[in-house]
Amino acid sequence: MNELFIIIKKELTELLRDKKTIINSIVLPMLLLPILMFGFVKVMGMIQKNNEAKPLKIGMVNAPTEFVQLVKSDTLNIITNYDESIDFKTLIDDETIQTAVVFPNNFSTQMDSLQSSVVEIHRNGSKESVNNRFSKILETYGNSLEDKRLTQLSISKEKLIPFHKSYVEVGEQKEIIGKSVGGFIPYIFILTMWGGCLLAGIDLVTGEKERKTIETTLSLPVSKFKVLMGKTVVASLLGFIPALLNLIGLILGLKFIDDIPDDFKLALNEMLNFQSITMILLLLIPFSLFLAGLIIALVAGATTFKEAQSKAGPIMIVIIIPLVMALMPGIEFTWTTALIPVLNIGLGVKEIMAGTIDMGMYIAMLVSLIAFAVAAIYFSYRKFSDENAILK
Amino acid sequence: MIQINSLTKSFTSKTGKGFKKETVTVNAVNEVSFECKPGRIFSLLGPNGAGKTTTLRMIAGIINPTSGSAIVDGIDISQGNDEVKKRIGFLTGSTGLYERLNPDETLDFFGKLYKLSPAELSERKEYLFEKLGINEFRKKRMGQMSTGMKQKVSIARTLIHDPEVLIFDEPTSGLDVITADSIIDLIRESKANNKTVIFSSHIMSEVDLLCDDLAIINNGSIIYNDTFDHFKRDMKADNLTQEFINRVKEA
Repeated sequence: MNELFIIIKKELTELLRDKKTIINSIVLPMLLLPILMFGFVKVMGMIQKNNEAKPLKIGMVNAPTEFVQLVKSDTLNIITNYDESIDFKTLIDDETIQTAVVFPNNFSTQMDSLQSSVVEIHRNGSKESVNNRFSKILETYGNSLEDKRLTQLSISKEKLIPFHKSYVEVGEQKEIIGKSVGGFIPYIFILTMWGGCLLAGIDLVTGEKERKTIETTLSLPVSKFKVLMGKTVVASLLGFIPALLNLIGLILGLKFIDDIPDDFKLALNEMLNFQSITMILLLLIPFSLFLAGLIIALVAGATTFKEAQSKAGPIMIVIIIPLVMALMPGIEFTWTTALIPVLNIGLGVKEIMAGTIDMGMYIAMLVSLIAFAVAAIYFSYRKFSDENAILK
Repeated sequence: MIQINSLTKSFTSKTGKGFKKETVTVNAVNEVSFECKPGRIFSLLGPNGAGKTTTLRMIAGIINPTSGSAIVDGIDISQGNDEVKKRIGFLTGSTGLYERLNPDETLDFFGKLYKLSPAELSERKEYLFEKLGINEFRKKRMGQMSTGMKQKVSIARTLIHDPEVLIFDEPTSGLDVITADSIIDLIRESKANNKTVIFSSHIMSEVDLLCDDLAIINNGSIIYNDTFDHFKRDMKADNLTQEFINRVKEA
């Protein structure tokens, strides 16, 4: 055991003296989530503010006076009246106007005779902000006409609403947010873990070959298994630490970034309690060992960093697919999915954060991850012992 | 003492395209036998790819033989690989040092794995640092050192556990004459200390300086094995290099 610690200490010292490792495994994971959160909140706020301050250029044909007055009430709106329906596509494309509304000639008559009319709206579906703003104006105008008709017909609005829906929420806010946001958190964890394990795994195995130290290492009076275990533990640590720092970054981000909605902040704070964090971290230990073992097995035969990356890189797809599946509706955390690596973390973390995890299933998931880690280490040991591959 | 009996190493590789795969087995070392005695320097000579490194790697326990036996300091490598490794100091031309560690850390790492007590490790390290002039740069990282400095550290780490058997695999390859000279001195000193020394080379001037016994290996098989005095006595060519070339060609 002492020999293993000596190897781990040496490998860790070497890796942590590499600037690339420090940036990728310590600095970036720590800052990633706060930067993402801060950036998202700020950028969304800025975009919204910017859009609201922009003038809305509306083309109109046969617009009734009340509608024109309503549009004019917002001084940011710029109205251009047209006598007849023309090629609005060109006008919208060259940004002369952003949207156009065409009322029929007899719109006022139709309204007076309580008929239903058709109002044509020309718009570009990709301009979401413009369309939303104009839809609101149109909705307000429609509501005012509706009210007018009801008054004219002496019908109370209440009579047209047979019932009001009153929702009684039985799910806790923590559960609702946990199930929706919880799916994204393992996404970030697992990708940073993969990145950390990959860099470390390549450096510890292929890097040794490139630096021509592998022969020295193998000449040590220590079994190949211990050498491999030392490397696997260090590679998994370099995957686990970024995930841990991701979590710390998330907690710090929630604490120090303003503008995050309070109820959301409260629910996330509640989700990230000592128990849920411990349960998540406990899962990540065998998972990081599994990733490290898998990567070392894949890169054992590579002689250059580039070759190692091309050998291990495609596995990223195998990791992303179950992660995406975990975000899909209808895929639940069951006894079966609890045994599928990556997918089980994606779904399990969601359940942990929502506070709805079944402890039996959690243990099954943990045991399956340990079994996968053991299998990956055995596989990497087989590859690491292959003299053809390791001394190539 | 090293006793090698019918040592063979086969490498299997798969070749071919698509689903058609062929397994090819090549004997890198074939039924090699020789003996290296304490207090004598044994040279393993051979052209590139002859099987020198593979033979030395088997003796050093880095790779396992396919068949045959190697007894190092009384221990069969197939019986106690790690025990054999503790008795060996292995040095190659490419220093094989960890670039992000400094000499102090490097020797601590090796010393601890060779199970030296803290007092022994400290005493041995200070002795080697003093003797090889490493003290001035003992805290400098390997990656920032010159080749000469690295080779000194490499020698120190090879000798940290005072091994009975020293294996040098083309130890001077790629080194300048001054650095190479320090290696020659080390080999001579090891002989004087009654260590068993085996070194591989294809530089005949070095062989001439150091060698007591020699074996020539070509295509994985030993084609000559005798004392260096006998080799010189039986020489037909004008110089050692030509004699070596002729023997390899004749084989």
